Amino acid sequence: MLGYVCKYTPVELLEAMGAEPVRIQPAVTSFNHADALMHPNVCSYAKAVLEVMAEGGYEGIVLTSCCDAIRRLEDVLKEQYPEKFIYMLDVPRKVNDFSIGIYRKRILELADAYSAFSGKVYSREALIEILERERESARINAAGEKPDKLRVGIIGARCPETVKTLVEDNGGKVVFDISCTGTRREEALAPYLGSISRESTDPEGILSSALLSQLPCLRMADARGRSDFIAGFGNEIDGIIYHTVKFCDVYSFEYMQMKKDSQVPILKIETDLTPQCSGQIKTRVEAFMESLAAMRGTTEKKIAGKAAESEMFYVMGIDSGSTSTNAVIMDKDKKIVASAVIRTGAKSADSAVRAAKQVLDESGISENDIAMTVSTGYGREAITAAGKSVTEISCHAKGARYFNKDVHTILDIGGQDSKAIRLDDAGEVADFVMNDKCAAGTGRFLEAMARTLEVDISELGPISFESSKEVSISSMCTVFAESEVISLIAQNTEKADIARGVHRSIAGKSVSLMKRVGLVPGFMMTGGVARNKGVVKEIEEALGAKIYITEDPDIVGAVGAALSALEQVEK
Amino acid sequence: MNIARTYGNIVRKKLESDPVKAGKLIRKGLHLEGFRVKHLSDKRIPAGYKYLNYKGITVVADALDDPEHCAWTNIFAPVEILQNFGLTSVSMEALASYLSGFYLEDYFIDRSESCGIASTLCSYHKNFIGAAEAGVLPVPAAAVTTTLACDANVQSFRYINDIFNIPTYMIDIPHEYSEESLSYVSGQLRELICMLEDITRRKFSEERLREAVARENETKKYFLSFLDKRQRHEYPNTLTLVLFQLFATHLSIGEEWPLEAFRMMDEEIEAYPESGQKRLFWIHLLPYAQMALREYLNFGGDINVTCGDFDLDYIEEMDADHPVDAIARKMILNIYNGGFERKADAIADMIRKYDPDGVVEFCHWGCSQSSGGVMLMKEKVRETGKPMLILDGDAVDRRNSPDGQIKTRFEAFLELLGKGGETA
Repeated sequence: MLGYVCKYTPVELLEAMGAEPVRIQPAVTSFNHADALMHPNVCSYAKAVLEVMAEGGYEGIVLTSCCDAIRRLEDVLKEQYPEKFIYMLDVPRKVNDFSIGIYRKRILELADAYSAFSGKVYSREALIEILERERESARINAAGEKPDKLRVGIIGARCPETVKTLVEDNGGKVVFDISCTGTRREEALAPYLGSISRESTDPEGILSSALLSQLPCLRMADARGRSDFIAGFGNEIDGIIYHTVKFCDVYSFEYMQMKKDSQVPILKIETDLTPQCSGQIKTRVEAFMESLAAMRGTTEKKIAGKAAESEMFYVMGIDSGSTSTNAVIMDKDKKIVASAVIRTGAKSADSAVRAAKQVLDESGISENDIAMTVSTGYGREAITAAGKSVTEISCHAKGARYFNKDVHTILDIGGQDSKAIRLDDAGEVADFVMNDKCAAGTGRFLEAMARTLEVDISELGPISFESSKEVSISSMCTVFAESEVISLIAQNTEKADIARGVHRSIAGKSVSLMKRVGLVPGFMMTGGVARNKGVVKEIEEALGAKIYITEDPDIVGAVGAALSALEQVEK
Repeated sequence: MNIARTYGNIVRKKLESDPVKAGKLIRKGLHLEGFRVKHLSDKRIPAGYKYLNYKGITVVADALDDPEHCAWTNIFAPVEILQNFGLTSVSMEALASYLSGFYLEDYFIDRSESCGIASTLCSYHKNFIGAAEAGVLPVPAAAVTTTLACDANVQSFRYINDIFNIPTYMIDIPHEYSEESLSYVSGQLRELICMLEDITRRKFSEERLREAVARENETKKYFLSFLDKRQRHEYPNTLTLVLFQLFATHLSIGEEWPLEAFRMMDEEIEAYPESGQKRLFWIHLLPYAQMALREYLNFGGDINVTCGDFDLDYIEEMDADHPVDAIARKMILNIYNGGFERKADAIADMIRKYDPDGVVEFCHWGCSQSSGGVMLMKEKVRETGKPMLILDGDAVDRRNSPDGQIKTRFEAFLELLGKGGETA
């Protein structure tokens, strides 16, 4: 097997030499090798490829000069595996006759190098045959289906298979995937292989031209073809998932531009290609698919009448968060009968059972009277008693509108993540973003700071109002912010001033998050951190607007889950 | 009182409500800094550095005042060609550093992140894009960048082009030198020349370019001679002054003033006493704003940065008779282009030549060029027998560069240098 990582690799030429080129799509669980050989702040894909090479099985790898990280990967691989075929192919960024000529020469140099390494010989006839086959197979596949499913396009850097599976598991169909090596080879090249025939005297030139002419990736000097490609789909797509890899320099720019221009909803996700980040991705993709379905009108809309007239019944919503588990019982008239908030223990399922028991006890309603339970939150899928699970994004949206019809922008700060959600006038999720894999700006951050200041988390808000001096906590990282706070304590800075600095730091992060969905007036804050009046004050100051907060901000997600349950029953 | 921070706070108040006014204040601030450097700067600063510092500031301030004769570039752009059309190069790295000098980087970086730019991207670029988005930068006549060393350039400049519709040219630099790659790059430079003729309505003068390249050769001669002397003589400096050398070795090279600055430095240094200081060789970016490092290295009595690879990324004499090809060759053979091994070998050679007491590499947040290759670099430096310190931080965003941690590492390195240790 000879690995490759980039769509500009002349795979067909390698096949024509009898090589077995394999696209490397890593799914690694750790970066043990890579972190020792490369700096931690390097693109996760490059590090994952290094892990794959360390596992063995590949005779070598053909890399391209696609980005700095891959160039550095070459340096490390060459050093580590001198016996393997590690080849760097320099791909021009411009497409013109001159660069096609240069590229033709370079791919033939690759063939020579591989020949010297493996003893295999390049056959021009074989290349012609492969290119012809590729062109024909694209024709056969062109007769595509038009699914009734939600049509999703994937763009960006190196999208892992798990994302596509998530789309498909949630009622979607991936219409196109133009992330790095996502496009099927024959579809990418076939349009440029028209002239290939048995009589072709320069199939290498045709291949070089086809490779450079395909839909450009963002490293190319002229990448306008990308927006044309997407525009070509018009209304044929329901949504776009924009995938980037941590420490990838290339792709977020396009997202920024698309976000401004696109009529189609876009979800941006960033992964490090490990299964560990699949939990967060799962919530985001599911919530996105829920919102696309809602826009298309395929959600289970409530049917008034039948159920409303029947006898009284109840539903339960359970929000299983990382810090607290919240349960709400609601009657058929959407009245909250009882609610419970308990601290999440080591097992989220056990905490859910306890929360459910507590809310049942409080309401005096028996479990048998609960017509439907919907779970939401981080641990939603571990709750076996729930008939259905819905993401917290959709639940917070529903819950927010339940309390206040004018809400358009929600900031939810939970224990381990924070999110900003924008609602359209109908109350459906129009856009949302979540913080990255970092505790900065979350409840955990506040807990850590309270611990360092040796005050109870509930006191942090009140004491900050006594602040008389501005202190700034500048670090973006919880761990470093903690050491900053320790230095401030060492300098005898007042606790009140530090607490206010901590709140300002959270407010700054939060407002940045909210800006990313657009600051549409009608602000609401949900989640446990909304209880901290110091944080709320700072966010209000940063926004220059009032924020609506319910009496019990912890239960908004659970209320949303109960409303979802009600919709299910009424259906 | 920190004047720059106080002034920055005044600018900050205008950023949201009146970005054009904020932009004017930034330019005014640069002029004031130019005045301060010329008339009120620290008496310890040698005249040569003072001149270099003054020019580095006023060149940018003047260019921002006159955007029609200014081009946004990156540090590796062919500035000699831009000069030919009366265009001053203002690099996005320099702009980002100046904004950080006014303590405004947090605002601009947050601004670009809230637009969707990845938080892991290099903060020079985030700072620059945020400032462009905020509307504080006057729109220049053109933008010119290269693919050399840094991926983010292509993306940042494309993005800027999309916002402002500035005529933009990107020069694609192949990794390896060959006749074809030389023709490929020369061809692009000629295309750039045509574009600039159109924009500026001025005729290209090959003769002037020859003169500029000849001047460039002479400038480098003085600089190299200065560096040789610098390894023996004292010549008080600060991290900021070392950083400013980049204006003379890159952004303004080919003009008269860098030649004058290095000539002054080369002559002046001879009057300074022989030095018993420890000397550091600095790899890649200089975090001039890092307090812990300033404390030790600005006018450091015991330890000084006396040399760095960035100023020496291409020192070959250029063929002034064929200036376009010479500039193309300079870009392809820049040590930052192509495989890291070549760069690491070149740097190891510089270390052998200048024989410093220690080597420091600062891995700037989001920079694959430094972070990606630092492990190999360390191996190469080990072969030279010199101790090396690797620092992780952010040269632009103060919030992302924990001073305490850097201080501890740096102090430990100093202790090690004192004992003649090998590595850190």
